[in-house]
Amino acid sequence: MNTTESRTEPRTGTRTENSEGRMVNGRIVEATHISRIFPMPAGPVTAVADVTLEIAPADHIAIRGPSGCGKSTLLHMLGCVEPPTAGTLLFRGDDVTTLSDRKRSLLRLRQIGFVFQRFFLLPMLTAAENIELPQSEAKVPKAERRQRTKELLEYVGLTARADHRPSELSGGEMQRVAIARALANKPGLLLADEPTGELDRATGEQIASLLDRVNADGTALVIVTHDPALAERSTRILSMRDGRIDSEAASI
Amino acid sequence: MGKVWVRCVVALIGAAVITAAAVRAEDTPSVLISRQLSETEHLSVGDVIRLSTSDDGRNVRPFRIAGVYEPTPDPAKLGAVIREVQLHLPDLLALTREPGTPSGSEYVQTINVALVDPNDAAVFSRDVRARMPGIDAQPAAGAAESTGPFIVLRRFHLAIAIVTIVASTVFLLALTIMLVDERRATVGVLRLIGLPTGRIVTQLFLEGVLIAVVGSVFGLALSLLSEGIINRFFQWRYDTALVFVRVTPQVAAICVAIAVPLGVSATVIASWALLRRSGLRLARR
Amino acid sequence: MNAVGFAWRSLVRQPARAALGVLGVAAVGALLFDMLLLSNGLVISMRGLLDSTGFDLRVTATDALPGQGPLVPNAIDRTHDIARLASVRSAVALRFANALVLAGEPRGVYTSLQGVAASGPSHPWTILRGRDIAPDRAEIVVNENTATRARLTPGSRVMLRASCNDGPEALPPVPFDVSGIAQFPFDTPNGTTVAMSLEMLARACGGNESNQADVIMVASQESAGPSVAVADVARLLPELHVMSNAEAVNRFERGGFTYFRQISTVLTAVTLSFAVLLITVLLTVSINQRLGEIAALRALGFSRWRVVADVFCESVLIVGGGGLLSLPAGGLLALALDRILKRIPGIPADVHFFVFEPSALQVHVLLLAGTAVVAALYPIRVVASLPIAATLRDEVVG
Repeated sequence: MNTTESRTEPRTGTRTENSEGRMVNGRIVEATHISRIFPMPAGPVTAVADVTLEIAPADHIAIRGPSGCGKSTLLHMLGCVEPPTAGTLLFRGDDVTTLSDRKRSLLRLRQIGFVFQRFFLLPMLTAAENIELPQSEAKVPKAERRQRTKELLEYVGLTARADHRPSELSGGEMQRVAIARALANKPGLLLADEPTGELDRATGEQIASLLDRVNADGTALVIVTHDPALAERSTRILSMRDGRIDSEAASI
Repeated sequence: MGKVWVRCVVALIGAAVITAAAVRAEDTPSVLISRQLSETEHLSVGDVIRLSTSDDGRNVRPFRIAGVYEPTPDPAKLGAVIREVQLHLPDLLALTREPGTPSGSEYVQTINVALVDPNDAAVFSRDVRARMPGIDAQPAAGAAESTGPFIVLRRFHLAIAIVTIVASTVFLLALTIMLVDERRATVGVLRLIGLPTGRIVTQLFLEGVLIAVVGSVFGLALSLLSEGIINRFFQWRYDTALVFVRVTPQVAAICVAIAVPLGVSATVIASWALLRRSGLRLARR
Repeated sequence: MNAVGFAWRSLVRQPARAALGVLGVAAVGALLFDMLLLSNGLVISMRGLLDSTGFDLRVTATDALPGQGPLVPNAIDRTHDIARLASVRSAVALRFANALVLAGEPRGVYTSLQGVAASGPSHPWTILRGRDIAPDRAEIVVNENTATRARLTPGSRVMLRASCNDGPEALPPVPFDVSGIAQFPFDTPNGTTVAMSLEMLARACGGNESNQADVIMVASQESAGPSVAVADVARLLPELHVMSNAEAVNRFERGGFTYFRQISTVLTAVTLSFAVLLITVLLTVSINQRLGEIAALRALGFSRWRVVADVFCESVLIVGGGGLLSLPAGGLLALALDRILKRIPGIPADVHFFVFEPSALQVHVLLLAGTAVVAALYPIRVVASLPIAATLRDEVVG
């Protein structure tokens, strides 16, 4: 199953158009010297300092580092949840910092998927309804939504649990539904913040395999994780310390 | 028998002709006028006015304004502008006497009596009735409560109060359910680590009592504050000295007696609904 | 799933809480509805009662209400003069007194007494049994309560002692024949009433003060209307005071009715504040318990306005559901409260305190709609200004 739009850029270097029709290189995200500073009563706190990073289509990136090093903050900036306080952040060639809140929401809805440590499924909706929800918000016609939801449930192996509520699912099953939800609108980029943080090793392994498959099917993947085994599955491993990227390694 | 004051009030509606004269007449009889009459007719102490009980101005007599008084608030006259004049009885009788009526044979409707010791009122009333057949004497205390309209209004207010208590109970139950629900995980963990249900219930009960008592105190403080605001507003609105809201110790005691058990009961009901579930289910998010 | 559907699912997720919210709004909504009915109910009812008598003007000696001021002298002559005006259909002079009917209960039955002198055949009462009084005959009509308590029927003969002044009197009893049983529009539920001609009343009052009345009631011609008739009567008799039914109701409103208008206003304000507080607290607590979910939805691309719309729809559903329930509840409550208030002494049996009018329903709906909006303001502010990343972080840490 295709998890992205048919117009999927190859992994490296092809030029394509941004939303204004300008020809840009094939990067999904281009972050240049981005920083994020939080004003606090006791003084400003620099969560991310001077990070430069590019994400190409079908990249598989892991971000590691000790607690408080700025991993999640960096992830949120890459996902256009929080704008950087300094630097330039381009998403498919568009400067995110100049977009209104509404346009950033639309961008997240259609082009970025999020998977959270705590799943954040809506407890009053079934698994299928949770997956349908972003499609409904993106004004996808009903028949198409239903078909896409069915495909995604099949993709994550939960067809039989379509009508179950989150309280009736295990942790691993909930995370699979969350991944399916994140893929609902065929985003080019999937961001996962400690996706196996609340799961046991075996279940975490299943989720990791699923994420590998998503990436292999053409979706760029950025994972924030403490888990070395999960990080080793990526092609690029970024180590962060004190808000900066300390080192970047390629996985074998 | 106490000292007897005789006062007569002539309610001047319509028929009286009142004018302010520039005549200085220290020997004219004096009257008191109500504040509202003073304000509407622009009269002040020392002015001489002429009173008549017929609309054609016959039998006009001059009187000098000796003072301006605040009329006793009368709920039955709420909204009315109290234009009153108080005269000495002989002056009033002289003013209102029919031409053929001999002096001394007139009548009055009521005699108000102020006793040296108000506690003698019941005994005094019985004494008057016994000595003067055809005369009815009643203590003034309690008269208001026994008057038909106020009995009915009290019932009306009670009905309104019952409805607001019902609505408040619903509100209280909703709040306590939310409060207890927020503690769900904590309660679940406590049960899982072995705390007996009774201990948890006692804890929640004590919290409920504390919240109910503090809430009642706060509610009383709020009611005292709003009592002042409401009275001031309506006294201004109706130009009266009537007291519209009064939080008496008895009222406060009844409110606390209702509020505290309601609050505690709401907490117990909400807790019971929570403790029926297993600790595992409670602890799981 | 649109905002309404989402809001519905959010509410049924916590059914006890949602039900309590709806019930709370229903209870205060019922009280609110009743206060709206009360605010104008007495005025509407009194106006209806005045109009139902068929007379739309009242002429008195002064601006005092009928029965509270001096008598109109030469009442019979003036009644006929008024009746001859082109804008007037009929006129009736009415005098009020009291009487003791020496029949029935051990010491007789105390009744109110009316004496009428009409320019035409109609009288301000409706004959239920028997016939109306004949002119120049010592006849009376009585209401049902008097007939029951004094054990009277049409054709009975009864002695009646009138009491016509405030002072002590010793008038002799006068014999009368009961010609009929009548219904009087301003009768109280337990009231007793007797009516006769004005001349007979003067005779019963000792023969003095004939040709005087407390009020002359006037019915205007349909083609002219009350305002024209008021002007004509005022021109004819400038020394008297003329009042239309509308003016009479205005006076009642400024006087004794004002208490109910004020309590209606105060309780309306209190119930609305209560409803706003209840819904605001319910929504705010509910939202605070699902901040993580809301932040996740925002991170997934839900716009700020979409989450705001979800919260607003929750408020509308709670208030709307409670509002619907409040109407039958309010109706039942109004019946009960009306029954209580009608026991106030002196209130005619046909007067009601709570009267339905469509405008009350419209105001009720508008006020509840306003409540839904105001109650949602604070929770909306919470979700609209929710910092997504910080909330997600806090959820993980928490």
